Amino acid sequence: MNVIRRWMATREARKLWRNKSALLAIVVIGMYLLTALFVMAGGISRDTCDTVVGSNKLPGFFQQDTPEKRYENATTKFLTKIKRALAADDVGGALKEVNLGPYLAADQTPAQLQEIVDQVETLAAELNESPNLDNDPSMLPKLAELESVETQLKAPLSPWDQFIFNTSICLGTDSQGRSIFFRGIYSIKIAIQIGLVTALFSVALGAFLGAAAGYFGGWVDHVVVWIYTTFSSIPNLVLLVVLAYAFTNSAAKDTLLPVYIAFGATFWIGTCRVIRGETLKLKEMEYVHAAQTAGFGPLHILLRYIIPNTAHLMLINFSLLLIAAIKSEVILSYLGFGVKNQPSWGIMIRDAGNNGDVVGGFFWEIGFATVLMFGLVLAFNILSDALQDAFDPKHV
Amino acid sequence: MVDKTIQQDKPILKVRNLRTSFKTGRGTVTAVDGVSFDLYPGETLGVVGESGCGKTVTNKSIIRLLPSHVTMYGDDSVVDYRGTNLLGLQEHQMRAIRGNEIGMIFQEPMTALNPVFTVGWQIEEALQYHTNLNAAQRRTRAVEMLRLVEMPNPEKRIYEYPHQLSGGMRQRVVIAIALCCEPDVLIADEPTTALDVTIQAQILRLMDGLKEKTGTAIILITHDLGVVAQACDRVIVMYAGQIVEMAPVRQLFHNPQHPYTKALLDSMPKPGRVGHQQRLPAIEGTVPSLFDLPDGCRFADRCKHRRDNCEASLPDLVSIGEGTAESKIRCFYPLGDVKESGAAS
Repeated sequence: MNVIRRWMATREARKLWRNKSALLAIVVIGMYLLTALFVMAGGISRDTCDTVVGSNKLPGFFQQDTPEKRYENATTKFLTKIKRALAADDVGGALKEVNLGPYLAADQTPAQLQEIVDQVETLAAELNESPNLDNDPSMLPKLAELESVETQLKAPLSPWDQFIFNTSICLGTDSQGRSIFFRGIYSIKIAIQIGLVTALFSVALGAFLGAAAGYFGGWVDHVVVWIYTTFSSIPNLVLLVVLAYAFTNSAAKDTLLPVYIAFGATFWIGTCRVIRGETLKLKEMEYVHAAQTAGFGPLHILLRYIIPNTAHLMLINFSLLLIAAIKSEVILSYLGFGVKNQPSWGIMIRDAGNNGDVVGGFFWEIGFATVLMFGLVLAFNILSDALQDAFDPKHV
Repeated sequence: MVDKTIQQDKPILKVRNLRTSFKTGRGTVTAVDGVSFDLYPGETLGVVGESGCGKTVTNKSIIRLLPSHVTMYGDDSVVDYRGTNLLGLQEHQMRAIRGNEIGMIFQEPMTALNPVFTVGWQIEEALQYHTNLNAAQRRTRAVEMLRLVEMPNPEKRIYEYPHQLSGGMRQRVVIAIALCCEPDVLIADEPTTALDVTIQAQILRLMDGLKEKTGTAIILITHDLGVVAQACDRVIVMYAGQIVEMAPVRQLFHNPQHPYTKALLDSMPKPGRVGHQQRLPAIEGTVPSLFDLPDGCRFADRCKHRRDNCEASLPDLVSIGEGTAESKIRCFYPLGDVKESGAAS
């Protein structure tokens, strides 16, 4: 607590505090982080994102049940009651007593009803061959037919009663009937996870290698410079695509591991270069010489004298890398090499484009993904700009 | 007082025939050429000479801080510290010596402290590295050290960062760090050059007092003869990588034997000269390039007392005088007792 209070009194903190857009950016980033934590804590599960909640694409709060539920509704409770009534001795009386929730039996002759029941059962048998109705959009027309046939059996009391309230469709659903809202929110976690892991790893690796290369010089320097020159001579995206392909047959292909490796392998280079340059300057400072004369070992000097004095560079690089990683993840996922089988803004944008949704006027999938990404990237850009200003001693 | 320590004690540091060469693009250059001296406990040994004469290289050779891949030491060179030849030690053995046995303080107090840690932390760091004290003991010791270097309010100062301190205070902290492990030898490389004169005097007095208290031997590198006169017991005068004169401080100032020493003393401003329109005498010419050293005396072509055979061969470092007045000089024609006439004028 004391440390925070002392930090708040520093010049950097005061400069940051005066910058209102930076404060807003911090609030926005905080909200994104809280959302990501909420998702991680299980607030929104993967299942929620993959559940088909109906293929009505319009945003709203009311929807029909899922196909499985609709199938079950159409084939079990009400149908069973009608069948039982038809089999009763007093068919007319029995039919009058049939009711289920908001429905009554339709006002038709028993023979007509029997015919409808037979039709329903034929259709139900056909639909029953589909192993998973929720994820089989081709069966939806048949399900709709079943429902329309079945509807003839019942007389609804109110037309609203067939809809149920559901927040997951507040921003509509995508072409596969999944909630855009939940997928977009879940993608925040994916983006922040990839951004944080990549940025932390890259800054840590880049800082250590850069400081070691700059401080020791000699063959250490040659090796590090050779490695990063080699890595940076390969076009970034090509390397990422190659790594993504290399993982296609491994067990880890559905996890985020390929993305971490691909980003980790390339993103540390910029930081490494900057820190190496700074270290070349720092190691000629007298306090480093003084540390040598005090008998400290090279690792101690590196960790206590060189790296802490590059903290401002590490901070700025961290926020820049975070943005770069999030943007790259979206681009890569859009191209189909990044995140697999998980929601991601890139995948949402690709889906929206591929299925002709955008052309057809269904803009909310691409819109929501873009707005979320825009907000996060803009907030981080403003923050890193403000950090750079705050830590720049020449900038008042 | 100087003489007593010399006679009483054995030298703590014996440097014999130290020869330090660097591999450069233009070939090998010998920056220190056959330097030998003894350092006794509790004395202050001044090393003077103009820029590039090898003062700093000599001392960095002793503490082995020169870049190892370009530095070569002579085969017969010995830096004997308590019976150990430092030149033969491994790097990790050397690290146990540095800071703990031989400390060093630098010229520029403004940049000699790590800006991201408090001064207390930096004193404790050295203690943590070299001693077995626990955290509370280290804290106590850090406060003690700051009090020893006459830092006001040490209990509060240990929480301050270097940028919150003035130059003189920072130099005090630097000295505190160098002395906290109680080294036997302290190498001070122009410790007062960057300070203004009042602070200089305070720091020199402080170092003198600390020497009395701790018995640390000090090697004081400087090009300021005023500092030498105030702080040193014995003085080594270096020229072009060699010792040209080594003498007790009083004798050096009153009775310089080597023409170079004499020329250095003459080029000091003296109060009596102010009124006259007299120019400050300077030594004509420049120091010979280390790549192209003359065969004879290295000072010969700038020397006012040069004779024919001076340029023929290099004079040896020979002892003259005896007992407390013993000094060593590298000259064929020492000036002798010229001080009676010279100093009076």
